[in-house]
Amino acid sequence: MAAGFKTAEPLEYHRSFLKENCRPDGRELSEFRTTTLNIGSITTADGSALVKMGNTTIICGIKAELANPTVDAPGKGYIVPNVDLPPLCSSRFRPGPPGEQAQAASQFIADVIESSEVIETEDLCIDRGKLCWVLYCDIMCLDYDGNILDAAVVALLAALRNTQLPEVTVNKETSTPEVNFEKRHRLHIHKHPVGTSFCVFDDSVLIVDPTAEEESLSTAQLTVVTDEDDRLCSLHKPGGSSMSGEKLQECINRATARQREIQKLIEKVTHSVTTAQ
Amino acid sequence: MMEVSASSVSLREFGCEQTLLSRPDGSASFVQGDTSVMAGVYGPAEVKVSKEIYDRATLEVLIQPKVGLPGVRERSQEQCVRETCEAALLLSLHPRSSLTLILQVLHDDGSLLGCCLNAACMALMDAGLSMSCLFCGVSCAITADGRIITDPTAAQEKESRALMTFAIDSTERRVIMSSTKGSFSVHELQQCIAVSQKASEKIFHFYRDSVRRRYSKNL
Amino acid sequence: MPTDTKRVRGPEVSQSPVLFGCRPAAVLPSHGPRADGRQRDQADVRPVFVRCGLVSQANGSAYMEAGSTKLMCCVYGPRETERKDETDMKCGRLTTDMRLAPFSCPVRGSWIQGTQDKDLSLMLYESLQPAVCLQKYPRSQIEVSVMVLENSGSVLAHAVTCASLALADAGIEMYDLVLGCSLCQDAGSYVVDPTYAEETSCGSGGGLTVAFLPSLNQISGLQSDGEMSEETLTAGVRTCIEGCYKLYPVIQQALIQALRRAAPPPSES
Repeated sequence: MAAGFKTAEPLEYHRSFLKENCRPDGRELSEFRTTTLNIGSITTADGSALVKMGNTTIICGIKAELANPTVDAPGKGYIVPNVDLPPLCSSRFRPGPPGEQAQAASQFIADVIESSEVIETEDLCIDRGKLCWVLYCDIMCLDYDGNILDAAVVALLAALRNTQLPEVTVNKETSTPEVNFEKRHRLHIHKHPVGTSFCVFDDSVLIVDPTAEEESLSTAQLTVVTDEDDRLCSLHKPGGSSMSGEKLQECINRATARQREIQKLIEKVTHSVTTAQ
Repeated sequence: MMEVSASSVSLREFGCEQTLLSRPDGSASFVQGDTSVMAGVYGPAEVKVSKEIYDRATLEVLIQPKVGLPGVRERSQEQCVRETCEAALLLSLHPRSSLTLILQVLHDDGSLLGCCLNAACMALMDAGLSMSCLFCGVSCAITADGRIITDPTAAQEKESRALMTFAIDSTERRVIMSSTKGSFSVHELQQCIAVSQKASEKIFHFYRDSVRRRYSKNL
Repeated sequence: MPTDTKRVRGPEVSQSPVLFGCRPAAVLPSHGPRADGRQRDQADVRPVFVRCGLVSQANGSAYMEAGSTKLMCCVYGPRETERKDETDMKCGRLTTDMRLAPFSCPVRGSWIQGTQDKDLSLMLYESLQPAVCLQKYPRSQIEVSVMVLENSGSVLAHAVTCASLALADAGIEMYDLVLGCSLCQDAGSYVVDPTYAEETSCGSGGGLTVAFLPSLNQISGLQSDGEMSEETLTAGVRTCIEGCYKLYPVIQQALIQALRRAAPPPSES
């Protein structure tokens, strides 16, 4: 009976739960799904992390390559984040070049990296004006069940924490780079931005960490990214039902609490990985 | 809510012209200082079967940059404009049909997304589509010394520490869309929202004036 | 070259640091035990780890690890075909899509599907197609997509196994499971289930991948490259079949386990 109701009237089905201040999967309105993190599982990548938030699974692999810096910014390297939503992760995505959602997500991640200054691109410079690192951060969704932006930010941050770059020296005589793979050093992570996404139901009810079904039924979505100093790195609300300043404040408060939880989780997992080695 | 005096909100010279293109069902060009965007709306028209939504119209937004092909940044802006328009338009009046909004950037001198939103709203109005409210776009930049500049130029944007663009609705002055760059404190955000709400009044006033001027000419 | 406007772009050219290593990569010995302690000239496959039904959105899915080769497969369908003009009234359509993640190989790959991915997709299709009872699904399509997360050799063979497991998990009717095994031939000796380093180091010798239906005792797919004499080829196929049989009980167990989880047996009380 309940299953039939869910299929026939999905919105009514969700409303009947929200009226009682809970959600179909048993969560409260401001409760996140269980988040698990696995760091460094891909050995071919220079840094990697797998994040699971409920069913949503996102993997981020970082590959570093050498390139020439631009003339405008001779002392800077590059960070190239891309989000891919392959047909593997959900039946809603088609094979082929990335769709609008994947492109918007890529741009969002690029904006978060730039705004939060998680990594100074100056740190990626090897030889000013001649050689620098390019960090290709490839973020891939393996199971799409909503809230990919939050999971992608966590995966990216954890993968950056895990990244170890080999030492590079430039040969004076031939002016070619020489890479020493035995000697590796970690990246300097300046900030820990963490995203928290919300959905608005019927222009009024605010829920956190939406599933794919909740996302499709909601009237608005927004993502707040904060760092450890409680500064906002992004308030991304692409549209949907309008919100007052007070309501936004409520979201920001929840986001700062979430930032603490996630940073603690990343510290814990990174620590357990380094001690295990 | 913080008090913001209207005099502290300075916007550049506005200009708007509606129905300047003959082919689209609605068109508008919007000028803010040197930033200028042209918008055209087609629809409601027949929709492709693959994009059909059974209970409302499908809205497509395309942003064409001044030079080159649209890239990932444009796609993200398109998403922002589309979802803002969807919130304002009464799409359920035109089920199984398509609406297309094309925004051509003529010149970018800062506050581009804000200008796109304004042009979009004027074009939708010109096309005679029913909307639950109007909306306008306001950009705010926070300078290195913490001042808030509304409607910044490209040079001001470059020097700023943070840049925010909001879409404000005309009925309750609430935030429909928000897109930010750079980091800022919660207090600064609330201040910027308050300033934008103040600025939106000026823009809505301008909307009214420009539409009035146009119809007084026609009648 | 047309620029990719649908992704965040980096610099025009960048090179992998692997090209600038201080010392040349160690050459693998062509005799004696292998780097990971396995034996040459024997059907010595790597231990595998398999799980079914990990992806919530898919009708069927499987994850597989063999050594450090990691791959994932999802099956969507049967559902209505999208391409109406090609709809076959009597027979279903099987589509395969196999991709290597950009970070899966030592040198970064591109997002754009290269010829290698397309070749792999095609070979995967040809290996699976004979095993699936497509006549039971008229006017519908079954989509198989494989993502290689880490390429540590023998990806095609493992992709075949993983895909057939995912198909079984999705409840698609099949004549039999399809198991894959590959070997690399190099100067008189061969290595079964080669790693990435072994695959790249045996230059002149041939590679062989066999897709095998174990209970029917039939081969559904065979792909071989490089130079090989008739005897070595037949011997190689035989060795691969032997390797497949070693995999068989593990795959069966994984399926049983997934089924148990989906429909727990009635309790005794």
